[in-house]
This record gives sequence, structure tokens and C-alpha cells, in this order.
Amino acid sequence: MSTPGSYMSEERRGHLLNITDSALGYMSLEDTLCELLERIRSALEVDTAAVLLLDEDRGVLVARAARGLEEEVRQGVQVPLARGFAGRVAAEARPVIIDDLDHADVVNPILRQKGIRSMLGVPVHVERRIIGVMHIGTLVKRDFDEDDVMLLQLAADRAALAIDNARISEQRAVTAIMQRSLLPDALPEIPGTRFSAKYLPAGSGIKIGGDWYDVFQLSSGRLAFVIGDVVGRGVLAASVMSEIRTALRAYMMQGHGLTEVVSMLNELLVSTGRNRGATLSILALDPEAEELEAVSAGHLPPLLIEPDGDARLLEYKPGLPVGVRIGHDYEAFRYRFPTGSRLLLYTDGLIERRNESIDEGLRRLATAARAAAQRTDSSFADRVYRALLDETPLEDDVALLAIETMPLQDTLEMTLPARPNVLGGLRNTLGRWLKALGATEDELFDVAVCASEAATNAIEHAYGAREANFTVFCEYDDSRVVVTVRDIGRWRTTRPHGGGRGLQIMRTLLDSVKIESNEQGTVVMMTKTLSTRT
Amino acid sequence: MSPLNIERIDGVPVARVREDIDAANVLTTEQQLADALHPDASSLIIDLSDIRYVDSAGIDMLLRLSNRLDHRRAKLILVIPDGSQLKRLATIVGLPDALDIHPTLAAALHGKR
Repeated sequence: MSTPGSYMSEERRGHLLNITDSALGYMSLEDTLCELLERIRSALEVDTAAVLLLDEDRGVLVARAARGLEEEVRQGVQVPLARGFAGRVAAEARPVIIDDLDHADVVNPILRQKGIRSMLGVPVHVERRIIGVMHIGTLVKRDFDEDDVMLLQLAADRAALAIDNARISEQRAVTAIMQRSLLPDALPEIPGTRFSAKYLPAGSGIKIGGDWYDVFQLSSGRLAFVIGDVVGRGVLAASVMSEIRTALRAYMMQGHGLTEVVSMLNELLVSTGRNRGATLSILALDPEAEELEAVSAGHLPPLLIEPDGDARLLEYKPGLPVGVRIGHDYEAFRYRFPTGSRLLLYTDGLIERRNESIDEGLRRLATAARAAAQRTDSSFADRVYRALLDETPLEDDVALLAIETMPLQDTLEMTLPARPNVLGGLRNTLGRWLKALGATEDELFDVAVCASEAATNAIEHAYGAREANFTVFCEYDDSRVVVTVRDIGRWRTTRPHGGGRGLQIMRTLLDSVKIESNEQGTVVMMTKTLSTRT
Repeated sequence: MSPLNIERIDGVPVARVREDIDAANVLTTEQQLADALHPDASSLIIDLSDIRYVDSAGIDMLLRLSNRLDHRRAKLILVIPDGSQLKRLATIVGLPDALDIHPTLAAALHGKR
């Protein structure tokens, strides 16, 4: 005997729908679905209710939540698309009713084991995409009617929202984690330079883009900066960004020139067939030579603020974005970067506004930068950002990187990791310091070279020690330069670097060299008196 | 690491060094220079005009390379500009006594002919 479908009162319908609205905000997806299925079970007076989600890659429906049919979920039931009951619902994208299971083709053995007699299934879809199936079943024979179908479809639509939101949140969380891990852990600390950066991904919905920046020191002593913008959004853009960042670091650290690096990157992207281009600017600064070199691949020009506060865009030929076409030549441009200058790298999200030309945006940028350069509180990047955007809700990602050089103090103290790739930077900083003190070229060379030898010694002493550091202390008093290199910690005794040649060089070039070595470590004190100038 | 530019001019391998040689790159530079040695070449020119500095281990490396070439009856020739800091350093450590040093690449190639 069949039971006619129950009459669903407005009240109960309302009750059913309300639960989903409040649940969306507070419960996990699993809990939301289970709660919903429970309500459906009681509202429609059925014995079982279940939701299966479509795994598009494999073309199967997987049981995700169930009430009265928990075994389906526990046993990880999978129904191939178009096969069986749920498969038919998904493939045909319309409700399906089974009056009597005995005469029907079902794939899932649990349904029969449970003793289900009648079933109703509806597709779960987001916009036009089928993402799953929701079905209900009874242990006694039942004639499902149009009201039942309509109500179940309504519930399925609400479930669809919850499922889609959960997927979006998950994707956003994954991408946010990826993006955070793609940015440099900390900006390097190099005497006489200051970095500041701001990174804000556009927040709402799935608008997560591909902006990034990077800063690192090269073993030659130059500093490398990158700012870029990958086309598109989401996890794919973030993963291309990651590849670009890694490749650029690798090529730069191998000592290739800027134009080579960008060309190699271009070839890499095109050859991996990602069809996803990116704009970028890559620059290298030599703080001692006060020289900046830049290559652009279709990116907006960096802004240079001179020591006197005047701001101008760097002029160069932009070149094509990378990842678009191979065989493109990139050109490097050189600029003077006297101490006290500032450089601002940014992505278009910082300046683009609707109903405004790029040029207007760039003018606003220059004005904001000039004003920000006047003050010294909080970071330069922060001040520029606040002047341009502050409370405005972001439509696009924003990334900013600012670099400034300042005069060095009379006394210099550096703590450096005991790795050979810090030597170039040490010589560069010492060169700046000595030049400011008025040392001749010979004197500058002598002190920098000897400090490098002593530092190499300290690094070799630390061989194998994890996270070892050493210090370099530089003072200047009454024409006399004193540089002290100190290693900390326990060292194994070793032959001096260069088999004695290093020490020979130091004793010849300097006025005095004093080496003290004990269990605490080694101290090398070097002095040189600079020829006085009138 | 520092890539060397290696080309053959008049049949002679010429390695142009682009970055100062210090502990960060001395081993890979030595490897790349050794690879540049042609089995039948009678010399190798290392052009140091673009760099400021070679550290003590780098100097040891050059001397080692020179010995290696000696065993093959080949010569190691350096290009170091006159009046440069590097020339001053090379003189202090007695490099000119051990190797041929020329002030320009042209002079080095000419000395070969």
C-alpha cells in the first residue's frame, strides 16, 4: 500500500529553509549538510536522505553526508556518472523517481540492503554546473509527487550554496597560504639601506591575484629587486608566480645578467605551455657604485625619488610581458642612484581607478611619493599606500616595494651569517663606508680585501655549524680605521684561508694585523691609517 | 656561482670572468675553467679585466691551474689591466713571476702568435 505524499505546511517549509540560512555561517559543511538532511527527512517523512558530490576528475559521485543511510558515507560509496540511480540523476540533470526499487537498476548495494522501496533524487547544481545529487528514500512503497520534488529541489539548491561557499573558502585559504609563503620571509638588513613593503590581496570573493615582490642579495654584493603581476587569479596564478620567483632567484644567483635572466625566464614559461603571462620589473642596485640597473617586461615604470625629493618615473623601453612569445630581446637600462635616493616598485592595483587614465594615476603616485619622502615616521611604502588607497576597498591586488639608501654611520657593526655569499655584500658596504671617510682607492681596496679575507676565515671556521654568525666591527678615529672580525662559538682549528697567502696579503696591505684565537673563538683586528686630506 | 663567458679567438680558448672571485664561487669557477681546457689547446687565456678582486684562494686556484697546464705543455695567460687594484694585488703575491700577465686581451692574443 502506498502512502500519499504528506502535505507540507507553509510553516514546515519555512522551518526547513531557515535552517540553511543560519547554518551557513556557523557550521562546517558536513554539519550543515547533515542538519539539512535531517530536516528533510522529517519534513518529507522519509526514512533516508543523502547527498553525493561529483568528483569531476574521476567522473564519479561520492557519498558525502547521509541520514538513515550513514553506511553510504562510511563505506565511501562511489557511483559512476550515468550508472545507477544517482548517476542517472546527475547525468540527466533532472529529478528521477523510483516507485519500486525491486524493478530498478541501482549500483549501490546499500540501498537494497537497507530495504529501501521508493526513492526520489534531484540534481544539486551551482549555476549550470551539476555538482552532486541529493536523494531521499522510504522503506515502504511511496508515490512521490510534484510537491515533494519541488521541496527536495529547494533543499538541494540551499545545499548547493553551502557546498560552493565551502569550496571557495577552501580555495581562498590555500591560495592565501601559498601567497604568504611566496613573499620573502623578511626584508634583508643591510647597513645604509632600508626596505619597506606592502602586500594586500584583494579580499572579497575569489579575487585572488598574482602580484608578488622579492628582494635578495647577490654574492657580488648587488641587491636584486623584483615586482611582478601574473595574469589571472586563484591557485593557478599563484603557482605560476611561485615558479617565476624561484626561477628568477636561481638565474640571478648563478650570476647571469638581467637581460639574460628575463630571457631565460621567458623561454621557461613559454616552454612549459602555461599560456599565462606576467609583467615584471627586475632591478639590481650596487650601493657602493650608486648605480641601478633595470629590465622591464611590460611592467609599469618604477618611481625614482632623488635625494632632493624630486620624483620621476624611470624611463626605459618596457619589453614584452614574459610567457607570451619567445625570441624577444630585453634591454637593460642604467641609472645613477646617489645615496639618499628612494625607489618605489608597485603593481597597477595601486594606481588604477575607474574613469581615470593611467597617466593621471601615475601623477597621483608621484605626488604621494614626494609628500611621503618628506617624513620619516612609519615606512615609506606604508605612507605612499595610505596616501593613495587607505580606506578604499580593493578591486585589485596591490604590491609595493620601496628601497632607500642612507649615509652610513661613522661606526659600523654587522652581524652576518657564516656563509660565503655574504662576502660580496661585506666588501660593498665597507667600500661605501671607506669612500665616505675619504679613503683613496688603494686604501679602500686594501681594507675591503683584508676584511674579506678575515671574514672568509671566520666562515671557514664555522663550516658545518648550523646558523653560525660572525661580526664585523668598523671604527674610525683620528684618521685610523680599525676593523675587527670576530667569530662566535666553538670552532675546529683549521689552516688559515688561502694556506697562509691570505695572512701574507693582510700583513702587506695593512698597518697592523692582530689575531687572537681561543676556545671562545677568533678575533682578527686590522688597522690602517688613511692619508689625511686637507 | 658565476658563469664565465668562454669563447675561442684565433683558436685560443678565452674565459672572461664576470664577478669577483671569492669563497662563494672559487670552486665552481675552477670547475668551469678546467672544463674550458681544450685537449689540444696550447694555452688558456683568463680575462680578468672586468673584475676588481681575486681572493687568496682564487690566486691559489690560478696557480694550480697553471701547474696543470704546465704538465700538458700549455700556458695559462691572465689579462689584468695595468694600474688596476688587481694588478697591484697580483704583484704583491708574486703572480707575475709564475704566470704571463698581459694588460689587454689583444696583447695576450698577440703574445700568442
